[in-house]
Amino acid sequence: MFRRDTTAEACFRLDVRTWLEANLPPALRNRTTRPLPDELMPWYHALSRKGWIAPHWSQKYGGMGATLNEQIIMTEELGRIGAPHLPVQGLNHIGPILMEFANEAQKARHLPPILAGTVIWAQGYSEPGAGSDLASLTTRAVLEGDHFVVNGQKIWTTWGHHSDWMFALVRTDPQAQPRQAGISFLLIDLHSPGIRIRPIKTIAGDDEFSEVFFDDVRVPAENLVGKLHDGWRIANALLGHERLATSNPQFSLMALERIKIMARASGIMADPAFQDRLAAISINVTALAALFSHAVELTNEQRSPGPESSIIKIFGSELLQDLNVLLVEAAGGLATVDRPIETEFGEVDVATPFLQARRVTIYGGSSEIQRNVVARRVLNLPN
Amino acid sequence: MELHLTSEQMLLRDSATKFVAAAGAKVARGFRDGVQSFAPSRLREAGELGWLGILVPESAGGLGLGLTELALVLEQAGRGLVCEPIGLAAISSAALAQGPNPHPMLEQAMSGTALVVPALQESGYGGNPFQPRARLTTQGGASRVTGKKLFVCADGAEGFLVSASSANGPVICYVARNAPGTTLSALQTVDGRKLSTLTLTDAPADIIPPNASSKNAVEALHNLALVALSAELLGVMEKAQETTFDYLRIRKQFGKLIGSFQALQHKSVDIYIRTEATRSLVFQIAANNTPYRIDPALAAAVKAKASDDALVVTQACIQLHGGIGFTDEHEIGLYLKRAMMLSSLHGNAAAQRREYVALAGLTE
Repeated sequence: MFRRDTTAEACFRLDVRTWLEANLPPALRNRTTRPLPDELMPWYHALSRKGWIAPHWSQKYGGMGATLNEQIIMTEELGRIGAPHLPVQGLNHIGPILMEFANEAQKARHLPPILAGTVIWAQGYSEPGAGSDLASLTTRAVLEGDHFVVNGQKIWTTWGHHSDWMFALVRTDPQAQPRQAGISFLLIDLHSPGIRIRPIKTIAGDDEFSEVFFDDVRVPAENLVGKLHDGWRIANALLGHERLATSNPQFSLMALERIKIMARASGIMADPAFQDRLAAISINVTALAALFSHAVELTNEQRSPGPESSIIKIFGSELLQDLNVLLVEAAGGLATVDRPIETEFGEVDVATPFLQARRVTIYGGSSEIQRNVVARRVLNLPN
Repeated sequence: MELHLTSEQMLLRDSATKFVAAAGAKVARGFRDGVQSFAPSRLREAGELGWLGILVPESAGGLGLGLTELALVLEQAGRGLVCEPIGLAAISSAALAQGPNPHPMLEQAMSGTALVVPALQESGYGGNPFQPRARLTTQGGASRVTGKKLFVCADGAEGFLVSASSANGPVICYVARNAPGTTLSALQTVDGRKLSTLTLTDAPADIIPPNASSKNAVEALHNLALVALSAELLGVMEKAQETTFDYLRIRKQFGKLIGSFQALQHKSVDIYIRTEATRSLVFQIAANNTPYRIDPALAAAVKAKASDDALVVTQACIQLHGGIGFTDEHEIGLYLKRAMMLSSLHGNAAAQRREYVALAGLTE
């Protein structure tokens, strides 16, 4: 968005664009709801075979080892064609964490299936009694010989019922003070006996979430990542990755395109008052892209953006909601239709993305919690 | 977030920080009721440091640097409420340096011994900066310009870079302050500076050629002005919010530091987010554009965002200070007034958004 491509980058962009046009099935383009695994995973596998599934992973671990500019080009091209939202818990969350904190055996076992798309991962953090107050989690793991025995419940597990493995925060020391010092980071095979998974239907009509129940589940001790009781530090490193990844401007750019189509179809595009709002929000999408490029730049320099990455999560998620509010306004009377709307400029889904966008200021730490974190840890305001 | 800078860029920023340490709210306050709204000696000092020629090619005696360096200096100038018009002088020098033979005023402009400022604006609400109503005519090799320019920072200026339409399209021309057919009438601003209306009637003018990479000289100078003003606005909001956060850490009410109250913490984070977003936008645009060919949609975008955010941030800073923030005695009000001034120049946020709709092809 900001820079002009060098000759080599322009070639790369053309390669990506041409390949995406030829290989991304039209039925998977511009979807507002994530397709189910049967439909989506063949696309994941195709990207994997092409070697493009993990642009940000180093070649040492089988990734593309792409430069920052190549990563941004890929993001822009995936957004341009309206590529579907892949399951990213493996690629963006547990993958980078394993590279940083896991032993060699764990890396060798778990990284290749993420690249190949043969294993789908879920994140096990939130619990019914531990949402914003994550450190109060109570899912218990007791070490008995060479196994942990896990009992408890996780909730809001994205794609839990489609997943094979979960990386979970579990309580290994109930007496620890502070509470954070009694939490460990455990990899759990979701096909183990004693696990029950129930999908949760959302207000948007999909069942992206589920709840996962653990009843005397035996997990080999070798599945502990890092040291016992040291899970909180790992979890926090992971939250940084998550905040950055979920604020990728690709989704805002796609939302902006939907607004433009809807506004032309409804006729509101000719209204100067609407144009002013569209300009303002489009400028904020540009600002999000600038924040994101800036943060990726620092990450690539091995200077983790740290707690400041919270601001990108807040800005990006609230912007996505504002975009969907404007989409509803552009659609006027059609906004309440609960299926994609046919227009002369193409099909636009309005109500579904609007409803879905309610979740983005809640997951990964609500906007209010993020503001608490920034106030204390970045602005150094008193307790 | 910290910027990704070279060691040379960090040195430049350090030297700007030192320059600014001698400025600040107290100095800015001193100029409010004065005859002149800045210190000519400080402008010469900025010239000696090379900043007024920061974009001027080395072959013409300048530093030959880019937009990132310009933005780093102007960010500091904004932080220090510096009253010398460093940004306007630096972009004018950059324009004067173009063509096979730089304009005779370049050397004085670059050294800060003579101030040259842009005179581009023709309408209060922005108008169309790329198609000036001022007319330039050329007869027998001599050019003359007729028109009216608004909101010119003419205080202490020796000459102006005026945008005009000519038989060959939009041009920038140099007009001396004391040239025949030139009149100025000044308005006092809340910021203590004066903004003038420049009326030109057949005033003698020298055409300033565009840089080879520019679409035309008018677009190049206008977009450069937008980026320069945005960088300065960024500095204003940064320093205003830091001053405010410092206050939240010492002021007590209900027996507690007020910075511990969640309502004030969240408001603080809101303004911090605005400042950081503007900051990333300014420096991403600076890093990826050359001074004479800035993407016009991005220039409008950054000026819209910086103007909007600077006003929101500085107003919130007054609210967070409470009653003391409303007094003339407290310095926080000076940041709001500087933000009002800079955000209004060359088209405020609303004017930029109106331009942006067309420049970004939003309705297509």
